[in-house]
Amino acid sequence: MNRTLNRKPIAWTLLDAVEISASTVWPFRGRAAVARAFLLPAVLVVGLLLVGLGYIIEYSFHELDITTYRLKDEYSIINYHTVLERPVYLRVLGRTVLASLIVTFLTITLALPYAYVLVRTASAAMRKFLLFALFLPFFIGQVVRAYGWLIILGREGLINAAVTSLGLPTLDLIYTYPAVLFGLIQYMLPFAVLLLIPAIAAIGEDMELASEGLGAHWVATFRYVVLPLAKPGLVGASVVVFTLTMTDFAMPEILGGGTNDFIASAIYDSFFQISNPGLGAALSVILIAVGSLLVMGFFLAAGPGTLGFRSRV
Amino acid sequence: MRGPLSKRLFLWTLVWAVVLTLSAPTFVIIGASLTAGEMLQFPPEGLSFKWYRQLWQLDDFKHALTRTFYVSLICTLLSLPVGTLAAIAMVRYRFRFQGTLQVYLLLPFTIPLVVSGLSMMLFFGDIRVLGQLWPVGVGLCAINIPFMIWSVSASVNALDPELENAAANCGAPPVQAFLTVTVPAVMPGIITGALLMFILAFNEFLVSLFLTDSRTVTLPVQIYNSIRSVITPDLAAVSVVFILIAVVTIGLLDRLVGLEIFLRSK
Repeated sequence: MNRTLNRKPIAWTLLDAVEISASTVWPFRGRAAVARAFLLPAVLVVGLLLVGLGYIIEYSFHELDITTYRLKDEYSIINYHTVLERPVYLRVLGRTVLASLIVTFLTITLALPYAYVLVRTASAAMRKFLLFALFLPFFIGQVVRAYGWLIILGREGLINAAVTSLGLPTLDLIYTYPAVLFGLIQYMLPFAVLLLIPAIAAIGEDMELASEGLGAHWVATFRYVVLPLAKPGLVGASVVVFTLTMTDFAMPEILGGGTNDFIASAIYDSFFQISNPGLGAALSVILIAVGSLLVMGFFLAAGPGTLGFRSRV
Repeated sequence: MRGPLSKRLFLWTLVWAVVLTLSAPTFVIIGASLTAGEMLQFPPEGLSFKWYRQLWQLDDFKHALTRTFYVSLICTLLSLPVGTLAAIAMVRYRFRFQGTLQVYLLLPFTIPLVVSGLSMMLFFGDIRVLGQLWPVGVGLCAINIPFMIWSVSASVNALDPELENAAANCGAPPVQAFLTVTVPAVMPGIITGALLMFILAFNEFLVSLFLTDSRTVTLPVQIYNSIRSVITPDLAAVSVVFILIAVVTIGLLDRLVGLEIFLRSK
């Protein structure tokens, strides 16, 4: 007999060694211990954020000492008072929440047909193209995309070059609220479509056929069959788009040019412009509180949608 | 797609409007980077690669690019074991407080990025690692780890648990069953997650803004800082680097697992 056939492959020997060392390092029985060990690294990594959050909360309860420009040692809620007292912060918060609602609604409205066509189209090439068109901006990042919009919408940009060549006056497209909203919608579209796809793919086309077979107009089918069945996706996509918009920094900064600040800009400015980290920390806590309350309320009303890690049974 | 003409017309109009909105910045940036003129203008004054040549001579740019690669690599390498193990545990095992843990692991998505960035800046500053490059990679892993867990858990959900039981039944000890059955079966999810982690870290701006300084600045932060002053075509050439890397990543994703993996129902 050939000698090589009798010899154990090195990979097996290695695996056996790994197995033996694993059973000495890990003498526990039962699946719960394994699960805990598997989850520990992720818990630690996410814990980084939680520890940091502790710092933010701690900072928020210390007033700035104007004479030394350091936070005072004693605890106070003066920073929260300041936020609520100064109308500018409430105005910024209001502007942010309003933008989040508008962007969420418009993004979902545009993303739903895209996701639907992507799932339902019969052509594999078209599906590939639509996926590519979706992933390209998704993978390009916010700053670069905002820069692209700056070239298009800027005072000496693409649109204004065309407008002035026709002899018309320059348009103020950039540094406006609509410009910020537009940039945000473009930024959120890939997120929304990707979260809607799993829900729409779960709807059997025979459901729609049945509805149409019974004489429903396609609009009615969409309204009464597709929309209710796509609810988990709509929930997931809305929550993600809403929270991402509410906490966005780059789009309002770059496309708003300082005239349409969102709450994230106010936080940034408290830390780095007026050097009052306590105030910025208080604003951060308020942002988290408002955001979590809104999202939690939404989840209570609509369930976790497509956001859960486990598939629905 | 089936359906009456009105339906198809309505849907395709919307879809093409979205395609146009999604692609417009990309094409405009590529166009602007190829302009021969000094200032950005449309239509460009003829084609030239001079901005790319100039870019290649800038040490600032090359260093920032290297740093961005380094940070993204740390983020990806860390997320591979962390996210994969967590996803397998979340789907395959039943334990107490599972719901709470799911909420906990989604925290990076619920905590605003601006707050995450500041939090880690304060924490890293306190333990005196701020100003180094590796904490940036770790920080980016912390804020994006749900993407990794998501991708892998989608694959674990699709994997029949009887396969692992069969391996055990055939005498495979736990580690062997894990390495030769479970890991290869969820490989598409692992690859997808790793590519997502890499590209998201490569593009991450806000958290990097807080965790880097002038010596450790990464490329997205540098672009942001330059946007604030004057708009010049060399910035467009830098942006094209991001477009190229995005295209390569999509190509890899399509080759290795197929973009259609995102079309799975749930």
